[in-house]
Amino acid sequence: MEIFMVDFLAKYKKSSLDPTSNDVKTVTVSSLTAGKKTILFAVPGAFTPTCSQKHVPGFVSKAAELRSKGVDVIACVSVNDAFVMEAWRKDLGINDEVMLLSDGNGEFTGKLGVELDLRDKPVGLGVRSRRYAILAEDGVVKVLNLEEGGAFTNSSAEDMLKAL
Amino acid sequence: MAPIAVGDVVPEGTISFFDENDQLQSASVHTLAAGKKVILFGVPGAFTPTCSMQHVPGFIEKAEELKSKGVDEIICFSVNDPFVMKAWGKTYPENKHVKFVADGSGEYTQLLGLELDLKDKGLGVRSRRFALLLDNLKVTVANVESGGEFTVSSADDILKAL
Repeated sequence: MEIFMVDFLAKYKKSSLDPTSNDVKTVTVSSLTAGKKTILFAVPGAFTPTCSQKHVPGFVSKAAELRSKGVDVIACVSVNDAFVMEAWRKDLGINDEVMLLSDGNGEFTGKLGVELDLRDKPVGLGVRSRRYAILAEDGVVKVLNLEEGGAFTNSSAEDMLKAL
Repeated sequence: MAPIAVGDVVPEGTISFFDENDQLQSASVHTLAAGKKVILFGVPGAFTPTCSMQHVPGFIEKAEELKSKGVDEIICFSVNDPFVMKAWGKTYPENKHVKFVADGSGEYTQLLGLELDLKDKGLGVRSRRFALLLDNLKVTVANVESGGEFTVSSADDILKAL
């Protein structure tokens, strides 16, 4: 399944020493995947429990091992804006082990067809992304582990390591 | 919806937040504000520069003074989910009085008529920056900014109005 046919702009906030820096950068998905081995994993929400306590930390701690197996890029995407993703990155103490990317308008998520409709919950999360982990080689999806609802059963760093 | 104005009764709607026991609550605006003097101030986005470094800190610093002038509640409001609002609130350990509430779906912002389209910045539809003073649900002050400015909706502006 080739999913990165259309360039989509994912945003991330370039961290800097200046907290007033407004430096939001835009990156195309193809630039993250062309000619590379890429892990792209998604979470329903920044600062939510499973995402913060298990999913992201798992990839941070396995980053070195994943890279030693040839992975070039490890990126996490969520339907949150770039400011929130940057605050979350700092809160989790992540440097450059994992990129935290914003799909602020949910367009990329929509293009992949992996929306998670949480509008009926009184919490007000809107339409988010399902949890998943993708291994792509030169833009072609080799492994797609997509979760149902709030599950966390096959999209962890360990699951990706096994797939490599 | 036309933007909220002085003399209006604030619309009824639901917002959410994590309480002191870290439990997620959904509350009706009328229940929170009935019979009280309430400042409801809105920001385009949690963790964004002006909101984080000027608008919110201003209300945190002036909270005691505002309360001494009869304000019962100071509520900070944004179109973000309650997990994000809780995390943002935690970045202000000195805060004693400002409550951070979430209009996660943006519905209440629409009821206020204060939507701000920031889709081209990847923020979706948010709230305009504003500060309202409510007296038993009636709007007595409505300071709403255009665009990204910060000229009429600060804590000092509300203090002058009290």
